[in-house]
Amino acid sequence: MPPSLRGINECRGPGSFKLPGGGAGAEPPQTAPATRRHLALALPRLAVERLGPGGPVLVWRGVGSRREVVAVGGVEGVRAGQALSDAQAIAPEAQAVEEDAAAEAALLERLALWALRFSPLVSPSPVHGGGSGWGPGTPALLLDITGATHLFGGEAALLRRVVAGLAGLGFTACGVIAGAPGTALALARSGGAGIIPPSEEAAAVEDLPLSVLPIAPEVVTALSRMGLRRIGEVRRQPRGPLARRFGAATLRALEEAAGEVSAPISPIRPPPDFSATREFLEPLITREAIDIAVAALLRALCRRLEEASRGARRVVLRAHRVDGAVQEVAIGTGLAVRDPAHLGRLFEQKLERLEPGFGFDRIVLGAEATEAMTGLQGGFVRGAQETEDLARLFDRLAQRVQVWRLAPAESHWPEREVTRVHATAGVLVPQDWPRAVRPVRLLRRPLEVSAMALLPDAPPSLLRIGKVGHRVRAAEGPERIEPEWWRARPDRPGRDYYRLELASGVRLWVCRSGFGAEARWFVQGRL
Amino acid sequence: MDPDPTPYPLPPEPLPMDRPALLAALRARIGRLERAGAAAALARSQAGVVSLSESIDAHLPGGGLARAGLHEILAAEPGAAAGFCAVILGRTAGPVLWIGPDPDAWPPGLVRFGLSPADLVLVRAPRPTDGLWAMEEALRCPAVGGALLTLSDLDLTAARRLQLAAEAGGALGLLLRPDTEDPGPSAALTRWRINALPGDSGSPHKLGDPRWQLDLLRCRGSTPRTWTVTWRTTTDRLDTDTDTIPAATPRRRRA
Repeated sequence: MPPSLRGINECRGPGSFKLPGGGAGAEPPQTAPATRRHLALALPRLAVERLGPGGPVLVWRGVGSRREVVAVGGVEGVRAGQALSDAQAIAPEAQAVEEDAAAEAALLERLALWALRFSPLVSPSPVHGGGSGWGPGTPALLLDITGATHLFGGEAALLRRVVAGLAGLGFTACGVIAGAPGTALALARSGGAGIIPPSEEAAAVEDLPLSVLPIAPEVVTALSRMGLRRIGEVRRQPRGPLARRFGAATLRALEEAAGEVSAPISPIRPPPDFSATREFLEPLITREAIDIAVAALLRALCRRLEEASRGARRVVLRAHRVDGAVQEVAIGTGLAVRDPAHLGRLFEQKLERLEPGFGFDRIVLGAEATEAMTGLQGGFVRGAQETEDLARLFDRLAQRVQVWRLAPAESHWPEREVTRVHATAGVLVPQDWPRAVRPVRLLRRPLEVSAMALLPDAPPSLLRIGKVGHRVRAAEGPERIEPEWWRARPDRPGRDYYRLELASGVRLWVCRSGFGAEARWFVQGRL
Repeated sequence: MDPDPTPYPLPPEPLPMDRPALLAALRARIGRLERAGAAAALARSQAGVVSLSESIDAHLPGGGLARAGLHEILAAEPGAAAGFCAVILGRTAGPVLWIGPDPDAWPPGLVRFGLSPADLVLVRAPRPTDGLWAMEEALRCPAVGGALLTLSDLDLTAARRLQLAAEAGGALGLLLRPDTEDPGPSAALTRWRINALPGDSGSPHKLGDPRWQLDLLRCRGSTPRTWTVTWRTTTDRLDTDTDTIPAATPRRRRA
């Protein structure tokens, strides 16, 4: 049995791995502010705990034609890796559930959002291969807790609080705090829990099996055939031959685990430039209470923005529910804003989407995109007030409907003559634009019609729209437009455009797509 | 607003002999009552009206299409109506919002009628209530020159709301509706019907400048009238070809 499958049913307590200096869980000596600290949380039983409390469960996955048990809940004598049929023979009362990797990844992301309350930099560690149990596939969360520990009374207290919080939500977690993210992840994924003092990472991972590292299984097998099963044993080998034989990725995984290199973590949400947070002892349930809280947070946020001479372009409200769910509401503005009243108006309608359930115990308002904004004094700059009024109008409209401008683009193909730009963007109109007469209304879907011409390639003299025939009084054209060869479909037929006036005075923009017998006629716009 | 049959109280002094002067004074008084909010908004903008052409301006009260007000346009021919709306909106000299369930306004064509893409903002409001809300927000904004809403049905309350919003903000509002048998009552200041006419180029190979028939169906403070006009693309002018008083309104509605 590989060591990674031991202890699948319970998290090994602190001190299960030997620490060279200092006991596990002990407060480490004061770290220098320059060193980073990371907290890795392995969630070995996520696949089972995702299903909620209940009877015995066997989570299985199809491997080829075989159904293999990957996680076990509440069943004695069954281990991961067994065939599902064997497991069901041992525990006939257990419910068999197929593994759902997408649901697990979504749950991990939700938990990462929940963990934003401990640090602004949280990353769900990708679930690859494994999905459950111990190993490189164990679902995990990685938190950069540098500089955040004092808020919770030290690293040990933070670790206790995070693990207790996850237990409250119904998830078993093993947390390890270390300097390098790779070390913390490797230790947590091997089932450890505790705190590694700075610069002792290499010694801490010495005895770990290779199977907890994100290394291809073939490499692990090949190394074990040489008698190299532990990280320390491999690290004592000469680096050159190791890299030549097993690739730089293997070496890099070893260095990350030993804390020699540190890969930056990619946070699930970008940390906001400015934020305001409020925690509530009594969870908020009513709309009035939420409105009051949001107004207070907006005032605090805008005050901070003003102190920094900045304005927000994008503000995100994150409401943490009592049951651990996090709901997000985002608004964007056309110009940088730090007026609480205006931002409040933009949030007004969007707050209807929040579902308080049993209430929100924490609301965070973060300005994720900000721009420099010096205090404007109205009245001196002509037009400044108009620009601001207009930008605010577009902000309000954009919360409920789509708003855009159409700017001239460099194309002759009719549908691409203009491109959508943001409502507050400036639009430059070239001098001789457009080069030909174009319709005032372009039909979203061109209307296929039949046309009759006196001569081939002559303008149509009779147009049949539906079942009604219309005599053409005058026609201008053709204007031939060829497809753009650098686009995706350069083989589409070219078009001949005609401007027609029917006897009733109706003016239409009509095109013939294709030539000869394949020609089809369309009404594409009204002139 | 349908006029109430109760007459306005006449001034206590004996009836002066100058009946036209009295009528003008009464009209002005009613105008003040009805558009009280617009006065402040109009004071902000340079001109209270949008000028169309000489003969049309002469017929409309105030000498043009009033800003800070709502105007209804029935599109007997969608292309001609869009062109006429572009002429009006282009002359408001400000940002213009084109609001509709699926706005199909096409700037490369509208620029011929004097509406620049730099001024045009499109708003897609799939539901009618969203469209009315967006229109009201736009009309209330003092920085907006004009706003157009395409819709099929409009109840009197909604139209009145829009009229009040336009009076508060000072923008010119256009309601673009398809031409129907019975357009119903309206709170708008004017109601037009726009139809296309065959061009007068005389050649089957040349379209010539667009010609329209403009029916002023109802107008607060003036009488119905019909014009045939030509839009001169080269000079950006609306030239009046004929100017007729309709023999009888097509269908008289009970006053």
